[in-house]
Amino acid sequence: MPSHPLRVAVVCSSNQNRSMEAHNILSKRGFDVRSFGTGSHVKLPGPAPDKPNVYDFKTTYEQMYNDLVRKDKELYTQNGILHMLDRNRRIKSKPERFQNCKEKFDLVITCEERVYDQVLEDLNSREQETLQPVHVINVDIQDNHEEATLGAFLICELCQCIQHTDDMENEIDELLQEFEEKSNRPFLHTVCFY
Amino acid sequence: MELSPEEEGKTSHVIDMTTSEKVVDLLNQAALIPTDEKLNVLKQVQELIINKDPSLLDNFLDEMIAFQTDKSIEVRKFVIGFIQEACKRDNELLLRLIANLNMLLKDESVNVVKKAILTLTQLYKVTLQWLVRSKAVSDMQEACWDLVTQMKGDVLALLDSENDGVRTHSIKFTESLIITLSPRTSDSDVPKRQEGDISLDKVPKDHTYIRYDVLCEEGKSALEKLLKFMVHPAISSINLTTALGSLATIARQRPMFMSEVVQAYETLHANLPPTLAKSQVSSVRKNLKLHLVAVLKHPCSLEFQGQISTLLLDLGMPQSEITRSTPALREQRKRPRHEQYTEGKKVKMEPALIEDDEDKEEPAPLTIPKPAAVPVAQSAIDLTAEFLHPLLSPENVANLVLISMVYLPDVMPASFQATYTPVESAGTDAQIKHLARLMATQMTAAGIGPGLEQCKAREDDAVKEEDNEEDSGAKDLLIKRKVPAVMMGQAISVVGGYAEKAPTTEAPAAVKRLPEPILPTAQTKMTGASGRKKVFRLSDVVQPLSDTQIEKLTSRAIKRILHSEKAISQSGMSHVRVKLLSRLVTQFEGMMKEDVLEFILDDIRTRSDLAFSLLYQEYNTYLSQLPTGLLDSYDHCLFTLLSGLQEKPEQRDGLFTKLVLEAPIITESALEVIRRYCEDESRVYLGMTTLKELIVKRPSRQFQYLHVLLDLSSHEKEKVRTTALAFLKRMYEKDQLRDYIEKFALNYMQLLVHPNPPSLLFGADKDTEVAAPWTEETVRQCLFLYLSLLPLNHRLVHELASVYTEAIADIKRSVLRAIEQPIRGMGMNSPELLLLVENCPKGAETLVTRCLHILTDKVPPSPELVERVRDLYHKRVPDVRFLIPVINGLEKNEVIQALPKLIKLNPIVVKEVFNRLLGTQHSEGSSSVSPLTPGDLLIALHNIDSTKCDMKSIIKATNLCFGEKNVYTSEVLAVVMQQLMEHSPLPMLLMRTVIQSLTMYPRLGGFVMNILSRLIVKQVWKYPKVWEGFVKCCQRTKPQSYSVLLQLPPAPLTSVFERCPELREPLLQHVLSFTPHQQAHIPASIMAVLEANKKTEPKPAEPVVGEQSEPFTAPAASVSEEAPTATLKEPETPDQHDPAVTKDEEEPMEQEQSDPVIQEESVNTVSQVELARASETPSPQPEPAEEPMETAQSEPSDLQEPEKDVEADSAESEAGSGSKDVE
Repeated sequence: MPSHPLRVAVVCSSNQNRSMEAHNILSKRGFDVRSFGTGSHVKLPGPAPDKPNVYDFKTTYEQMYNDLVRKDKELYTQNGILHMLDRNRRIKSKPERFQNCKEKFDLVITCEERVYDQVLEDLNSREQETLQPVHVINVDIQDNHEEATLGAFLICELCQCIQHTDDMENEIDELLQEFEEKSNRPFLHTVCFY
Repeated sequence: MELSPEEEGKTSHVIDMTTSEKVVDLLNQAALIPTDEKLNVLKQVQELIINKDPSLLDNFLDEMIAFQTDKSIEVRKFVIGFIQEACKRDNELLLRLIANLNMLLKDESVNVVKKAILTLTQLYKVTLQWLVRSKAVSDMQEACWDLVTQMKGDVLALLDSENDGVRTHSIKFTESLIITLSPRTSDSDVPKRQEGDISLDKVPKDHTYIRYDVLCEEGKSALEKLLKFMVHPAISSINLTTALGSLATIARQRPMFMSEVVQAYETLHANLPPTLAKSQVSSVRKNLKLHLVAVLKHPCSLEFQGQISTLLLDLGMPQSEITRSTPALREQRKRPRHEQYTEGKKVKMEPALIEDDEDKEEPAPLTIPKPAAVPVAQSAIDLTAEFLHPLLSPENVANLVLISMVYLPDVMPASFQATYTPVESAGTDAQIKHLARLMATQMTAAGIGPGLEQCKAREDDAVKEEDNEEDSGAKDLLIKRKVPAVMMGQAISVVGGYAEKAPTTEAPAAVKRLPEPILPTAQTKMTGASGRKKVFRLSDVVQPLSDTQIEKLTSRAIKRILHSEKAISQSGMSHVRVKLLSRLVTQFEGMMKEDVLEFILDDIRTRSDLAFSLLYQEYNTYLSQLPTGLLDSYDHCLFTLLSGLQEKPEQRDGLFTKLVLEAPIITESALEVIRRYCEDESRVYLGMTTLKELIVKRPSRQFQYLHVLLDLSSHEKEKVRTTALAFLKRMYEKDQLRDYIEKFALNYMQLLVHPNPPSLLFGADKDTEVAAPWTEETVRQCLFLYLSLLPLNHRLVHELASVYTEAIADIKRSVLRAIEQPIRGMGMNSPELLLLVENCPKGAETLVTRCLHILTDKVPPSPELVERVRDLYHKRVPDVRFLIPVINGLEKNEVIQALPKLIKLNPIVVKEVFNRLLGTQHSEGSSSVSPLTPGDLLIALHNIDSTKCDMKSIIKATNLCFGEKNVYTSEVLAVVMQQLMEHSPLPMLLMRTVIQSLTMYPRLGGFVMNILSRLIVKQVWKYPKVWEGFVKCCQRTKPQSYSVLLQLPPAPLTSVFERCPELREPLLQHVLSFTPHQQAHIPASIMAVLEANKKTEPKPAEPVVGEQSEPFTAPAASVSEEAPTATLKEPETPDQHDPAVTKDEEEPMEQEQSDPVIQEESVNTVSQVELARASETPSPQPEPAEEPMETAQSEPSDLQEPEKDVEADSAESEAGSGSKDVE
């Protein structure tokens, strides 16, 4: 069992729903966790599919919350957006962009393949320095509240299993295989180096 | 640096007291507190002594390092981190700390090991840089570098570690190592952070200790290791991912390795490890794509763009995206740049050790082969791909697919499922190229293919070339290693003097020495081993065998090998046995060879491989002694094998053929066996097929082989001969053989000119030239080949003509017999044949005639042929026989003109002419329209001028006509008679023909009576011959003819009775039976002739006759003289005079006319007698007697010409014999 707790990053597109749900649960379970988005902007559902609410990563959850309350409180209450933002603002102040984070993790978990690709691209484009490995695992989660919750539990379970291995690097392959079978979904997995 | 602590300790102790004290305090704490806090504390210490006050570093180094034995992994990892930072801060510390790192590298915790690897990755570069910078390298430094080198080796070995993570770290280390140990070039991607890092180009080639070329080789071998690691079939997904990334980094930072990298990617893509799970496959592919794009973006990817984009397309990347990632065309990169780097960075030489001079010079030559390695690896696949590309025809590919169906696994492997993309551009050249490359990659990976072999050969050459240089290099290495080892002892004591305060620093020194002592001990062991060898001498223990013993043993050994056939074949090593046997047998002379050959022949079918092996081995031996070597042994081997095969009764397989065709050389004796084989009737076809193959496939000696076949073409056995001829005919169509065959055939035919057959024709053994005459057989022998070529090349016909003219009669006859088939084959349209007819060389007339006959035998002559023959006949050789074959092509008048000559020929010939003219010769297919109708012919015969032709021939000719009952029907004859009647004067043979017609067709009686009556009108009695026939006819047709007779005037009637007295009485009776009224119509003169038996009656007529021609009286007297004989003969007709003919005027005329004719013939009475005699015989024709004579001759040849003439003469003389007798 590794002497230090795993440093985990959970990444989705806008750092709102899926990554925050996982962040929420993982931190409650005592993981050293951070969450990120990889998109260029933060997007939230709007009054119509083609009219999303778009913010930059500097906007706090609080500001978004207030903005949406002002725009259409009923709509955003009904679709759970306000509830989500409310939870988010209690975890951290604002969404973070993965590409801008220089912190080193042991494990990066992404919530969809596009995000996984972006993470890999970013990590590979960084200059290697310490050659410290970071494992990147993709767990596909649909972007809705229910799936986000289910996905968060899956991620949490995965992290716990990894945390409990004697030698994570030696066992992670096998572990993921088991998990794939159990959860009946494929995981993309790779390793990058800082 | 070593001096600083003491110095500083005094000067700055007061100032730094707090820092130092703080450190001491912290260290004390750390010894007691639990891990988490300990780490925290230690981090503070590290911060203090490395960053805040590096002067303290040396002081507290030992204390810090002491924590490397802490039971906490994290603490140990921290120590490693500390070592790294400390060494980076002060390179001199490497000397002391590197050994500690080495210890940690072997820590029991993988996490510590991993951390140590990461640190070594950094410190390797640091150490190298430090050493390169050092002006003079101390022994300590050398030892330190040696240890680092050793650790490097250890980490590389960890690629085979059992722990996945350790392997991953080892891969990263390898990556870094490769980059460090290869020169940075102008086109290298250099990450900013690593700009200052050491790389090979910064290593001076004249460094006192670090050897440029060794490092370079180490770098390359590291790359090789990495590449090898990557193709391991059971590689884990993470390792693979790591390696892929490493390769991309290497390719970008060291484009010189790009080809290897791309090739590795290709190989991987085509060979994803089967152990990967489905999701792992997609992960790996994703990575591959990512890294490929990274490589593609590098400007040096230019020459690999094709391969990379193909791979990317296969990985599912759209073309547009690939294009976006492709760098714009750029100026060609300059590889040689790194040479300049080293030049520029050249460290100034110290006036140093002796070795320096050697070092200085050596690197230069050693760097030369380096660039060669790059293209070699690349081209193995390239070459194989090039080799495969043209082979990938749709058919071949389809076959490959079909064959590989068998090997498909039951379940689709995940890697395939993930990899599979439908082939969009199937069949295009690009796709075929890609396929070829894929296959080449696979083949190269499997260690097969022409590319690999070529590369191997090239590498071998390179190695050989390098050998000399490398030898010296290796020696130097040994020397150098030894030197530091010896000097180490001194160095340590010196160092020890300085390092009195730190007992722990001894440890690293000891560790450092560890790798060193290994060498000397190994060397002593080796010398010990070699010393022992001298004790045992083989020659002391063994004694030489006697020659007989040796022989016995060898032959037994061979026999054992020979007879172990079954056992060995079961073990699957037959080829070794075969090779062994053939080598042994050819190497040692003696009986064994016979034994082996015999053994082979016992069952050659199954032992053919041994046979071939032996044969080749023999040939090989011959080649190896070439300038002087003899073929005897080989010849013997081949001869024995072939003879053995030839003598064996049954064999369906083509072993004989195979042996002949695969033998490297066909010797004379072997050719003799082949010849014998061909002479065997049951195998002639196979034998000659073999011979043909030889001729076709071994052009250098084809004429030699061809000659055998040509010889066989006149073989006495028909089957052999015909087969040979058939083969030759086919070969004759080949230009290069044509001349030879033709010349041979003509030469052979030319032999016919000799008066006796040359011995050549009897085979070499019979030397009977003088005695033997030409026979049909020998003549034919000379002609077989020629005649079979003739239909293929008509030009040759002229050669025959010229030979023919010179040949003797016997040969001519044989030739004429032999040419039928080929001439017919040429056909009458052959221009060459027509030319022959046209020219008709003197002496070759019979040949030409024969040709004409053959040509027209079954088919009517062509106008061209007729024209040539006509020309020949009219202008050059007026021999009527030429006309016969083309007679049906001639004009009617031409035929009639030629007829007198024709019928004078040999009866057989005449018969043939008639057959042709009457179209009775050939039963079917003769659409030839004769220029003469049968009637015409018969009439023409009657009209032949008797001066041009003797009567006898004409009679014979007409008889031939009558012989053809089918043609000369009663109708035809009637027409003929009718027409002949019209002629004036009446044809001599008219009545003969009439009588004959009547004999053939009795129902013509009425018609004949009519004819007779009309003849009376024509005063038939004036033509003695005809009159004679008239009487004869009347006699034969009585009583029908009575009425005709009664129409005669009295004088002729008297003549009738004179010739045929027995007619008178019946005629008289006939008249008397008339009614009186009818009788009244009979003139009295007639009645008088009928009734009167007195002989005075004719007398008064004589004066009348006398009026016209005096000379005729005497014969008339003779006639009267004759009369008694006639009466004597037939006494029963006394009353011939009764029917008196009243017309007196007519009678004398008749007398007159008949006499001269008789006179002319001078035998008229005899003729009458003859005719009379003939009438008594059942058949009036004298011919039947002659016919047997004619049939006696069967050959239409000129040789019979004289005989025929004689015959004709005799016929004539026979015809005239009667008259002669009388005379």
